[in-house]
Amino acid sequence: MKHFLQKNAIILVSGLLIAFMAMEACRPQDPDPVTGDLEQIPYNPQSYTIPKPSFFPEIPIPADNPNTVDGVQLGRRLFYDPILSADSTMSCSSCHLPEGSFTDNKKVSTGIDGIAGKRNSMSLLNIAYVTDGFFWDGRAPTLEAQALAPVEDPIELHNDWGTVVAKLKAHPTYPSLFRKAFGIKDRSEITKELAAKAIAQFERILISSGTSKFDRFVEGDVDAFDDEEIDGKLMFFDEGAQYNLPDAQCFHCHGGVTLTGGKFFNNGLDSVGNLNEFKDLGRFLVTGLEFDKGKFRATTVRNIALTAPYMHDGRFETLEEVIEQYHDNGFGVANEGAFLNQIGFPVGNGTYTGLTEYQKKALVKFLHTLTDTTFIKNPDIQNPF
Amino acid sequence: MKNLSVFVAIFSLVSLLGCQDAEDLPSTDFTINFKATYGGETLEKNKDYIFGSYPIFFEGCRLYLSDIRLVNAEREVIISEIEYLDFTPENAASATPAILFKNVPEGDYTSVSIGYGVKPQLNAKRPSNFPAGSPLSIEIDYWAGWKSYIFSVLDGKADPDNNGTKNLSFSYHCGSDAVYKIFEFNVPIKVKAGQFTTADIAFDMKEFLTNDDGSLYDMVANPATSNDATNVVVAQALTAHWGRATTITQ
Repeated sequence: MKHFLQKNAIILVSGLLIAFMAMEACRPQDPDPVTGDLEQIPYNPQSYTIPKPSFFPEIPIPADNPNTVDGVQLGRRLFYDPILSADSTMSCSSCHLPEGSFTDNKKVSTGIDGIAGKRNSMSLLNIAYVTDGFFWDGRAPTLEAQALAPVEDPIELHNDWGTVVAKLKAHPTYPSLFRKAFGIKDRSEITKELAAKAIAQFERILISSGTSKFDRFVEGDVDAFDDEEIDGKLMFFDEGAQYNLPDAQCFHCHGGVTLTGGKFFNNGLDSVGNLNEFKDLGRFLVTGLEFDKGKFRATTVRNIALTAPYMHDGRFETLEEVIEQYHDNGFGVANEGAFLNQIGFPVGNGTYTGLTEYQKKALVKFLHTLTDTTFIKNPDIQNPF
Repeated sequence: MKNLSVFVAIFSLVSLLGCQDAEDLPSTDFTINFKATYGGETLEKNKDYIFGSYPIFFEGCRLYLSDIRLVNAEREVIISEIEYLDFTPENAASATPAILFKNVPEGDYTSVSIGYGVKPQLNAKRPSNFPAGSPLSIEIDYWAGWKSYIFSVLDGKADPDNNGTKNLSFSYHCGSDAVYKIFEFNVPIKVKAGQFTTADIAFDMKEFLTNDDGSLYDMVANPATSNDATNVVVAQALTAHWGRATTITQ
């Protein structure tokens, strides 16, 4: 018996050893680093001025990662390159497609192993303006930190950065692109941090064109809107009192010219007995604050007509459903946003009338005026391959 | 001619002394510790407090201040043109921002002047006019409908029925030039390197929600600053409370 166990142990260990050697053989090896192998390639960083509408705020750019022409080009390439995934089938763009305003228009996204994630792909439009954390729960403090995460997420690209960096170092093109973007002297200096910086530089150029119907109307083209769209706008921004229109309270969470609030709310999606019953605890997983349970980041509503389905779990197919959900005023859960039950005209004692069917329709029609087809067709942000 | 020379000499001397620029005085770094409180206790997001006879909690508490001045008989020193204070940040239950002001002229000041909100010269602009990182580049606290920054935000919920459910949402967003108000506080503040380099300013939300006659603001009747004409009325009424709600100590 003892002999039998010893024999099997030897076979098992040998098998594992062979398997390990086979895996290592398949893993791309770092090329022999040759000091200064990229130095003959010119490094002339040129600042990249991100095009933006004149009425948009200045784009926050971190001091340690200024946008350069070559940095953006490298980031764009990495963003669209399936080299980032373990089986080379998916890239960032698999879940963030230009035609969906950089979403995938799926309820929740599915990774390389066919496993569905638990959250909807967020639009990256105007993502550069977000300051309170990225992802639905804000867990990544910077765009650079965000760009690192999906590569190693087991239900997304399911890779490891060691493998990715090795592939990039061995690639016929990438080392020179990293040289041009960051001035590295040889390919051994390629790191995941530089890759993430490049991707972040590209994502920062995903800025509205300023040519949507809404933008044209706000900038003085009064004929851009019909009456219904004007009514929708007035209600969205709580500007309609003098026209006898109620407050829809939308802009409190989707405010400013970018309509990117960036803050976190429980927007009344679920009826729970207590805060622990939320299926997805959202922001709480980051802050540990009890009242952050079930809260998620308010997204931009620019291009909202292109980003269905809606909410963090993609539960709503249409904008009409979204408006109806808000109109229902939530469920009285303790941490629901204060504005949820202030929709309509005040009628005393903290109660409100809600909206008429016409008013809901006008709101939806207004949301369609935020569609920016110039942005999604911008050649500078398309797949370079 | 001689008298004229003496006059010119004296006039020049007096002018020189009178025009002594605050920049010529010795100066030091000076920190003000800002805090929001409720009944004197540091305000925390989503923590229950008692408002009169019923429970209340706060979700948002933010405030713009303009032209913070130190004043005495000789001079007025503006130590800050604009500040933005977020006492309920996204990543914590509360915040007590400590703001360092550089090169504050040393002296014995007798009062502090504060503008509550964004002063009209700055309020005429909008976030896109300011560089990223400026307090005035923050979009979420600008309302295009008013063409104004939202000077102060106080959001939360209350349970006026005492039935265990906070079903009254309140949201006091005060803004527009008509609401901007300056208060001067007669508080001695010393500024001297190595000795007097800090002061504390606290804003009490219970006082903010208390009328001058000591009665509590009628939150049930006016749970929000709405977009009609009453907006300015509600916002002005509340902004008038900042003077009483502010405590400055050193």
